[in-house]
Amino acid sequence: MKFRLPTSASVIVLTAALLVSGCSSGSDDAAGGGAGGGTSELTVWLMRDSVSAAFQKEFTTAFAATHPDIRLKVQIQEWDGIGQKVTAALASNDAPDVIEIGNTQVAQYAQSGGLLDLSDKKTDLGGATWLRGLAEPGAWEGKQYGIPYYAANRVVIYRKDLVRQAGVDPTAIKTRDQWLAATGKLNKGDQQGIYLTGQTWYALAGFIWDEGGDLAVQRDGKWQGALDTPQALAGMEFYQRLQALGKGPKDADEANPPQAEVMAKGKVAQIIATPGGANVVTEQNPQLKGKLGFFPIPGKSADKPGAVFTGGSDLVIPAASQHQDAAYTFVKELTGDTWQKKLALAMSYVPNKTSLASAVASDPGAAAMAAGAAQGHATPNTPGWAAVEAENPIKDYMTAVLTGGDIKREAAKTSEEVTRAMNSAS
Amino acid sequence: MSAIRERAVPRPAGRRPGRTSPPPGAAGRTSRDRSGPWPYLLVAPAVLGMLYLLVYPLARAVLISFQDFRLRQLIAGHAKFVGFANYRTLLSDPRFWTVVRRTFVFMAVNVVLIMVIALLVALMTQRLGRIWRTAVLSSLVLAWAMPVVAATTVFQWLFHSEFGVVNWALTSLGFDSFERYPWFAHGTAAFAILVLLVVWQSVPFAAITLYSALTTVPAELHESARIDGAGAFRILRSITFPVIRPIVMLVLCLEVIWTFKAFTQIWVMTRGGPGDATTILPVYAVQTALAGQRYDLGSAASLATVVLMSGVLVLYFRQMFRQEDEL
Amino acid sequence: MSVTSPDTPVRRRSTVRRLRRLPLHAGAALTVLVCLFPVYWMAVTAFKPSRDIQSTTPQFVPHTWTLEHFRTAVHAAGFARFWSNSLLVTVGAVLLSLVIGCGAAFAVARMRWRGRRQFVLAVFVAQMAPWESLIIPVYIIARDTDMLDRLLTLTLVYFMVTLPFTTIVLRGFIATIPPELEEAARVDGCTRFGAFRRIALPLLAPGLMATSLFGFITAWNEFAYANFLIIKNQDNRTLPVWLSSFKNTFGTDWGATMAASTLFALPALGVFLLLQRHVTSGLASGAVKG
Repeated sequence: MKFRLPTSASVIVLTAALLVSGCSSGSDDAAGGGAGGGTSELTVWLMRDSVSAAFQKEFTTAFAATHPDIRLKVQIQEWDGIGQKVTAALASNDAPDVIEIGNTQVAQYAQSGGLLDLSDKKTDLGGATWLRGLAEPGAWEGKQYGIPYYAANRVVIYRKDLVRQAGVDPTAIKTRDQWLAATGKLNKGDQQGIYLTGQTWYALAGFIWDEGGDLAVQRDGKWQGALDTPQALAGMEFYQRLQALGKGPKDADEANPPQAEVMAKGKVAQIIATPGGANVVTEQNPQLKGKLGFFPIPGKSADKPGAVFTGGSDLVIPAASQHQDAAYTFVKELTGDTWQKKLALAMSYVPNKTSLASAVASDPGAAAMAAGAAQGHATPNTPGWAAVEAENPIKDYMTAVLTGGDIKREAAKTSEEVTRAMNSAS
Repeated sequence: MSAIRERAVPRPAGRRPGRTSPPPGAAGRTSRDRSGPWPYLLVAPAVLGMLYLLVYPLARAVLISFQDFRLRQLIAGHAKFVGFANYRTLLSDPRFWTVVRRTFVFMAVNVVLIMVIALLVALMTQRLGRIWRTAVLSSLVLAWAMPVVAATTVFQWLFHSEFGVVNWALTSLGFDSFERYPWFAHGTAAFAILVLLVVWQSVPFAAITLYSALTTVPAELHESARIDGAGAFRILRSITFPVIRPIVMLVLCLEVIWTFKAFTQIWVMTRGGPGDATTILPVYAVQTALAGQRYDLGSAASLATVVLMSGVLVLYFRQMFRQEDEL
Repeated sequence: MSVTSPDTPVRRRSTVRRLRRLPLHAGAALTVLVCLFPVYWMAVTAFKPSRDIQSTTPQFVPHTWTLEHFRTAVHAAGFARFWSNSLLVTVGAVLLSLVIGCGAAFAVARMRWRGRRQFVLAVFVAQMAPWESLIIPVYIIARDTDMLDRLLTLTLVYFMVTLPFTTIVLRGFIATIPPELEEAARVDGCTRFGAFRRIALPLLAPGLMATSLFGFITAWNEFAYANFLIIKNQDNRTLPVWLSSFKNTFGTDWGATMAASTLFALPALGVFLLLQRHVTSGLASGAVKG
């Protein structure tokens, strides 16, 4: 009988499977032991590509030299399913010691009771000059849980050669009207003035803030969607005019396909992205090296650039961490001035303190970003906001308006959905 | 694929000329008593596994649905008992009932399409020569083996408004209104694409299983019926179908369950949008549980799903037991 | 076309037959095309340079071929580790559920005993289990019994996910096999179990193939539990996690994702081909000895 073979083989494989799994977890338990004196192993979770491999190596080497008693283990986490992963980590008995969390997500964890309260370390870490867009979401009811790590905001990346051909002077684009006019000039033939996908909602948020509106507001202690206010509608109308000056798909966001890849194909004059996006473009199409320039997103008037969403990350220490002192040492190093300057230059980030802004003056992308960062805003600071992002009715709203839906009706409907989502979680 | 041939399955009657084989469905009823402890020993591992790995977690889920259970309680414990509050919140949410209706529509459309297409493919495969049959079965397996995430992504690309093959093909064929047509902007279109994806992913399993069942239909029955002058449809209805009926019902039942629980495809492709157009119950449950951190409400929603699904399948169970009793 | 009618001696008859079979072959061709196009698109994307992946006029055959994406995919950290983990977990779960499911299916289909109906009903209800929502209770139980971060936990979960299906389908297959065959073998001096093994098991081969493929594909693809239950011990992560690792803040590296998906789909095909051989030999030996 031929089936005897696979059956007996199965038993062996199965036993092996159980043994291996038993072994590997066993050895891990042993490694976690030395919490008190001696060396302690510190597990740190950073997000994929939030730091470059070179920077990570430089940092870990230096950290090992200055803190021989701490064995640093950096684990890179993937973006897919990170919310669930962090939840699982915070609720476990043996959590990682430091976790990087996106600034729009950190509020829900700060509220959960799973993070170590670092309020008394604020002065020690130089909290007075922290970027507001990072520090506020990390705080809950007056206590600081998330420590600002880095920030980035969006700028306009443009093609120097195409702009020159069209006779446009990018340094002169200071207002929205000038921006529209210039983009219109660039949008001819099969060349796109701007590649703006229909669901780039961070860009829309900026336009709404410029008008004086917001995504959601708090009334009588209850959060409400505010996309149907006149200011928010004006922001959406501007988005619609700008989006029409290119062939960005109306039912997709900037990651699908990655807009940097679209720009790399060569027929796109501008995109709205973080300056780091320029590296992706030139990686895909080396011919564009040196042909990419940056300017801050223009505002309503020439005296200040447009409002932008401050993206970025905080570092947190889980309450279940078994090496909290070592974890704090790590957080203090990485968010300290020395490494922040290096990180900002290496990754084109905005450093976590306003006092360090000058560190990136030499980099054109980061400089444009820093100019915009002065007008940085954050998404509504409430745990409920994560629920809105998870469903993201705003994306549907944008698509509906761009494909011919009635703007007022869609806005009213979406505001209701935002209200519901924000309050379902609290 | 050369292996599964029509003739490869030994035909009982052919192998043992002395015996006439009755249709397997109506099998004889001898010597199935006096089993002693054997059946209990045989099902014991399955029962124990189910008790610890399924019933116990399910009981915890029921408990959670009666508690105030959010991220804080998951981390720190000490959840408070709130009785039926979560169910009240859930059942009084008009959105929930829209989702329930949509789930049923989604399930019905998918199951009908899957069963019809799979049966046609299975019958066709049975009539094919060796090479064609190998080709069809292999491509079915390939489609089936494609990772869900990859399949979903590819479908997303095919219908991409700017770079999608579908829009390109339709425009090339002269349908200019499909130039940059945003499929995912319209609820109905997005719903249709998801149906297409789910059908595409589900047909291989159903078709292969039905085909396997077809190979167990004794060829002699066909031949004698043909000699009696029965037409192809008649043979299918009165000879083939009765034999494969248990498997057809089984596949039907499984497809009902699976489409009712379809989750990954929708989550990856539309997250339930645009609006709520593609939100069916499991998506709703996960939206509330993970995005809103309301594990209590999510638990209640998915338990409600199980109850609704059982309602659909009650008919199937009754019929199955009637058959069992005949044995 | 000669393949379809190799044994027809007369030429004209074969032409007629060919014509009659034309709709059938057209249907077969359509099935193959519809099934394979997305698969082909995945594989072919993996060979395209990144800038050709999304283009306004689709490239059905890449203008330039590249192996770069496969290099990226294979060189991703932990590649070999993820593979062996996934294999162990998946094969373990499938074999467990095959062995246990086959026993239970036999008891249900061939024996009369008290509680049989209840057991069948329980298995069907188990099939309906809302696994997406059971993740929290399973997590809590695993945490409280110190089973987080272990591959064994994943194996057990996947075993449970596939067991009801295995039992149900095998029960259906066993029911279609005439018990008279086994009885005859018992008359010839086989034990009940021996009769089952020699007569029914080979006939069950297509059913075993279908169920193990199903189990394999389900467990192989599973992401949510693998993501939630393997936390700090990253050496225990499985392949679906690897698939999601080509995503960063600037979007997804689709070329690498598709290359990874192609590599990822290969084992299921391999399992199919492997079982194929056993199906054949099982059937053959069953025919000879039976």
